[in-house]
Amino acid sequence: MKYFKLLLLSTFILVPLLLNAAVGCDLNDPDKDVKRLFPESTGYKAVYKSIKQVGGETLLHKIETRLGDKFQGLYETMDVPYTVYIIYQDKTPVGYIHGVNQKGKYGGIQVFLSLDNNLKIKNLYFQKMSTRQGEKLKSPAFTNQFKGLTLSDMAEYDVKTGKVNGKPGDIKSPAAAVDADFVSIIRAVKKNLILMDEFF
Amino acid sequence: MPTISSIAYKNLRRKKLRSILTLFGIALSTWVLVSLLGFNSGYEQSMDKDIDNLGFQVLLTAKGCPYEAATLMLQGGAGLRYLPETVLDSLRANPEVDQLTPMLMQTSFDPNQGESGGVIAYLGVDPTTYPKMKSYLTFEQGGWFTEENAMEAVIGYEAAELEQREVGDLILIPDKEIEVKVVGVLKRSGTQDDGTIFMPYKSLQTLFGQEGKITSVGIKIHKDVDVSAYEEKLYALQDVQVVSMAQVKTTISNLVSTAKVMVMSIAIIAILISMVGVMNTILMSVLERYQEIGIMKSMGATTFHIFRLIWLETLIICFIGGILGALMALGLSSTTDALVRYILPYAPTGSLIKIDAMLVLKSIGIITLIGIFSGIYPAYRAASIKPIEAIKSSEGEI
Repeated sequence: MKYFKLLLLSTFILVPLLLNAAVGCDLNDPDKDVKRLFPESTGYKAVYKSIKQVGGETLLHKIETRLGDKFQGLYETMDVPYTVYIIYQDKTPVGYIHGVNQKGKYGGIQVFLSLDNNLKIKNLYFQKMSTRQGEKLKSPAFTNQFKGLTLSDMAEYDVKTGKVNGKPGDIKSPAAAVDADFVSIIRAVKKNLILMDEFF
Repeated sequence: MPTISSIAYKNLRRKKLRSILTLFGIALSTWVLVSLLGFNSGYEQSMDKDIDNLGFQVLLTAKGCPYEAATLMLQGGAGLRYLPETVLDSLRANPEVDQLTPMLMQTSFDPNQGESGGVIAYLGVDPTTYPKMKSYLTFEQGGWFTEENAMEAVIGYEAAELEQREVGDLILIPDKEIEVKVVGVLKRSGTQDDGTIFMPYKSLQTLFGQEGKITSVGIKIHKDVDVSAYEEKLYALQDVQVVSMAQVKTTISNLVSTAKVMVMSIAIIAILISMVGVMNTILMSVLERYQEIGIMKSMGATTFHIFRLIWLETLIICFIGGILGALMALGLSSTTDALVRYILPYAPTGSLIKIDAMLVLKSIGIITLIGIFSGIYPAYRAASIKPIEAIKSSEGEI
């Protein structure tokens, strides 16, 4: 009975408290995920950044200009907390893992990039996405296209169409059926890299 | 011709600093008293409101069925058990029942969540009865479903933020490949509803092939009904479990009662200290005016006059201090609220300190009464002074 009461208490008190925290974009299981995305890592440190804290309105406008799109809707605001995992090999920083939430056709897409110290993409990981063609988007054939890219490679992409100057860029959509999510992913990757460039 | 009250007032003004410090002490005691009495009633009211905000006092589920999404997730979305929808008719026949709302929880496996997929839970609710029960739920965007079997969803704020959904957007029920339109995004409520995706329960029944089945019924009973007795009655139904909010309330009350006793003890100590402080101040004043009181008596002041004068001084200090303290309690109620919240193990939402006119009057009355009692001894000592002895003595001898 005592445990039942404790369970009730946790349900009605603790759960609402936990739910009250702002939704950022954290790795679900950082220890495991960091090791998977950065096999050579021996440790990591999580730091929290927000546009509001780092540069406020001025930085927001700068990021929007570089992105080529405005921050939109209820949730893409300058006070969104971004978690950056700084990855260490012994005591030397060897890179970063950083994720952003991006609106997709059927739900939020969480796009994580593992980056080296020069912010070159080592890997792309979708922690969460709601789509009919998740397999295609998660397949190495698609995600490997991002490996080795930097912000300068992504700079020319139009985040509203996923194209470069009206023509398909080097990164190809895996199928016409997922074009809306493809555009969202291009926007998320470009935004992710811009944020990292501004934060570090 | 000066009155006794004007003399008492002038006497207090002669030693301004001491009078002000005593007033301040009384005011602090009154602040503590008003705030704590306000807390006693405010806490109960806020907790009752919180329990009411849960919408129903009793939740009836099939035996062994997880009744919260959090528990369901811990079980990997498995273990759902069902009640026949006809149970609603049996429950409606109970005179104790004020309102009922059926609910159907369902889960869907999404292979695109994390590394190895994840479970999404949907709570099917009745658009007619559920919003009435959960009247505290308000909308950031949109509203409730347009029809009882519409392919529509209302999303709690946290869930909407995670899914980046707004009104007009679509969500996909993964293993059904069904698109559902978002018609409402709830404001943050600080409850588990923030993380919930709501759909009409009839739609969920059709989508998941669970026609005629529900997983739980929220029951709001009439206020004068004994919840425990009604719970026992519900157990007469076959294979059900009853979750009562009364249990939650009792558990929280037990947790808080210890803190309440501690806080009330502090209040009583504060009042005793202020009582001794007043007595000391007035006694000091009597000692200082030993000769003066002797002269007053030799000029015709009676023992009763002196007693009244000193007593009145105590009363004035306590009465004014009481009013100041009550004003402080009113002005600082939000600070006190925050302080109490910090101390307590669990504090309900809403104001914890409820101060009304009756409480203020009652507290000023208590403090004045304390003044009356504290003033008796110094007044008696002053009244007992013998004029000749007082005039002959040097100041301070008594």
